[in-house]
Amino acid sequence: MNPYVLATLLSSLGLGTTLTFASSHWLLAWMGLEINTLAITPLMAQHHHPRAVEATTKYFLTQATAAAMILFASTTNAWMTGEWSINDLSNPIASTMFMAALALKIGLAPMHFWMPEVLQGLDLLTGLILSTWQKLAPFALIIQTAQTIDPLLLTLLGISSTLVGGWGGLNQTQLRKILAYSSIAHMGWMIIVIQYAPQLTLIALGTYIIMTSAAFLTLKMSLTTKINTLATTWSKSPILTSTTALVLLSLGGLPPLTGFMPKWLILQELTKQDLPIIATAMALTALISLYFYLRLCYAMTLTISPNMINSTTPWRTQTTQTSLPLALFTTAALGLLPMAPAILMLTT
Amino acid sequence: MLKVLIPTIMLFPTIWLTSPKWLWTTTTAHSLLIASISLTWLKWTSETGWTSSNMYLATDPLSTPLLVLTCWLLPLMILASQNHINPEPISRQRLYITLLASLQTFLIMAFGATEIIMFYIMFEATLIPTLIIITRWGNQTERLNAGTYFLFYTLAGSLPLLVALLLLQQSTGTLSMLVLQYSQPLQLNSWGHMFWWAGCLIAFLVKMPLYGVHLWLPKAHVEAPVAGSMVLAAVLLKLGGYGMMRMMVMLDPLSKELAYPFIILALWGIIMTGSICLRQTDLKSLIAYSSVSHMGLVAGGILIQTPWGFSGAIILMIAHGLVSSALFCLANTAYERTHSRTMILARGLQVIFPLTAVWWFIANLANLALPPLPNLMGELMIITTLFNWSPWTILLTGLGTLITAGYSLYMFLMSQRGPTPNHIMGLQPFHTREHLLMTLHLIPVILLVTKPELMWGWCY
Repeated sequence: MNPYVLATLLSSLGLGTTLTFASSHWLLAWMGLEINTLAITPLMAQHHHPRAVEATTKYFLTQATAAAMILFASTTNAWMTGEWSINDLSNPIASTMFMAALALKIGLAPMHFWMPEVLQGLDLLTGLILSTWQKLAPFALIIQTAQTIDPLLLTLLGISSTLVGGWGGLNQTQLRKILAYSSIAHMGWMIIVIQYAPQLTLIALGTYIIMTSAAFLTLKMSLTTKINTLATTWSKSPILTSTTALVLLSLGGLPPLTGFMPKWLILQELTKQDLPIIATAMALTALISLYFYLRLCYAMTLTISPNMINSTTPWRTQTTQTSLPLALFTTAALGLLPMAPAILMLTT
Repeated sequence: MLKVLIPTIMLFPTIWLTSPKWLWTTTTAHSLLIASISLTWLKWTSETGWTSSNMYLATDPLSTPLLVLTCWLLPLMILASQNHINPEPISRQRLYITLLASLQTFLIMAFGATEIIMFYIMFEATLIPTLIIITRWGNQTERLNAGTYFLFYTLAGSLPLLVALLLLQQSTGTLSMLVLQYSQPLQLNSWGHMFWWAGCLIAFLVKMPLYGVHLWLPKAHVEAPVAGSMVLAAVLLKLGGYGMMRMMVMLDPLSKELAYPFIILALWGIIMTGSICLRQTDLKSLIAYSSVSHMGLVAGGILIQTPWGFSGAIILMIAHGLVSSALFCLANTAYERTHSRTMILARGLQVIFPLTAVWWFIANLANLALPPLPNLMGELMIITTLFNWSPWTILLTGLGTLITAGYSLYMFLMSQRGPTPNHIMGLQPFHTREHLLMTLHLIPVILLVTKPELMWGWCY
């Protein structure tokens, strides 16, 4: 892509999220979200592949619907209560509509159906931006309004997201769809705790961004998009296969890796709030997701040569990609659990 | 504590920076040094029982025998793996030993933890290296299934444990074992509390394993390479027992009624798994089911919650750890020579390996709990305390002892006595390394006859 165009689009992405972060008026927040949607649309369609164009169209339609619902919710609230500020979403109709719209925006179940197909149509870097950066602005809005939203709705969204994220990913062989379902499941964990301790949502979001970035960058480094090709990464970069196996287990939430930290803290908060049954249910749904992460580990690392590879072995050329971001994210995705007190202090 | 932790962590640079010629020698020597330093923990100097280096790492007479067993086992594992890992590329050899050393580190921190959450995290952390050892270095295709069963059975039990621990922290304000042993008994009187009781124990019962949830164990033990089988049988199962003994302190008075079905399941499991052993054709599978049988007796002893029960449990855990690991080493020597675990293919070995027949003999005698070995000590104490709880249990435990003797004898006669088939006449003789391995396993078992107080736990 033309570097000027790319620069404009990326800075628009940054501008949109910043606008939403900085806003206290609904219209400005909505504008930031729309700028984000519009800026990422050309990025998604840059390869004029039919699947990419289809993904872009689906994404645009769902995000535009969500943004229109946000506008509608905020105007309803303004009409009923006369307040345009984000903190004062006191009308229950408006707050429920707003939550539904934001669930559609970030891909929470049961409004998640667009996520796997959209992510599948994108190249890996754009998919990374979609999974990580595009979640920041909506979460800024959700955290600010979480107190006014019906708790039952939030809990239902959370549990159904973890269930759908687990079960949906079980039958997939395409890695981007697996990461989409992983995203849905993690969003569920973030939403369930937002009404009790928003800082844990931030921690969950932060660790999710780190782990997903490590995963996407690995896939980009080894140029794999499905499980069959994943089995050949051992020849391209043996160290990467072992660290990525650990990153996948971290996504699954196994101690002593970083991915355990948000799960532990969220379960602690839920038990503090006298919700042990929900806590146990959430913990057990994480096992479903762990199954397909484990399957990826098996395919990539734990059945190394000599093994039967179901695809043709690729040319092994020296990689020209920069590996520093991957190294940073992988290290963070594996070793941050002992830093939990420091991270908690940063976000409180 | 640091005398052992820092050398264990320094084992990692040792592994990666030693020259390939000296890798196995250096790591074995280093881990033997760590094992000998760990013996200093056996001197209990404090009145309260806890010897602590700080608030979060401490040893007491319950954890010390298990810690010494863990540290003792690492050089044995490295010795045992030498033959089958040596042909691999050097970085894979280093990776294998690194996995063993990381298991060691997690286990030391687990047994030395005073905060139950730290114990939990280390308990779970041992899953990852074990999973990698089983699935990457196992030899048959079933190893993937074995790894999945192992991981998911353990996690399905331990996630409710996490919630239960967080609930305990919520109600008592602390999760430190130093403090909880002196806390007021909890008011446990509702259905919710019964679920909490179950949540606290299910993870450890799955790990031990209890008979109904034991399916992961034969798979994992059989598919793992020898070091994996050794560490699984000797130490990882004991994590379950240790965890149960720590948690039982807080779970009264519900345990009087709620433990009933689990004790019966454990005792029934002794008989069932013993009977399965009598019909096994796979040598490692036989030893694995024998582990389930012994640990069923341990589970029964712990759930009874009497002093004799606890002492018997820990004695049996230590003795079974050493003996079971020895049996897996012996099975591995047969496997390395014939590349098969089928018992019929490696029988009549006494004629060609006479000294090894002595090791088989001693290991099997220990397995069937011959006096005066500590296996009998533990079993007898548990059987006595179960008899005290209910005289009818003698039927189950007595029959269990009989069946244990039966299959141990079967294992010995099948592998050592009888006609030697022609196809194994040309097998490699035993290496000094393997004899050393067996000596290092069985000498501690025999020496523990002379000073069993080291193992008696709190009730010394």
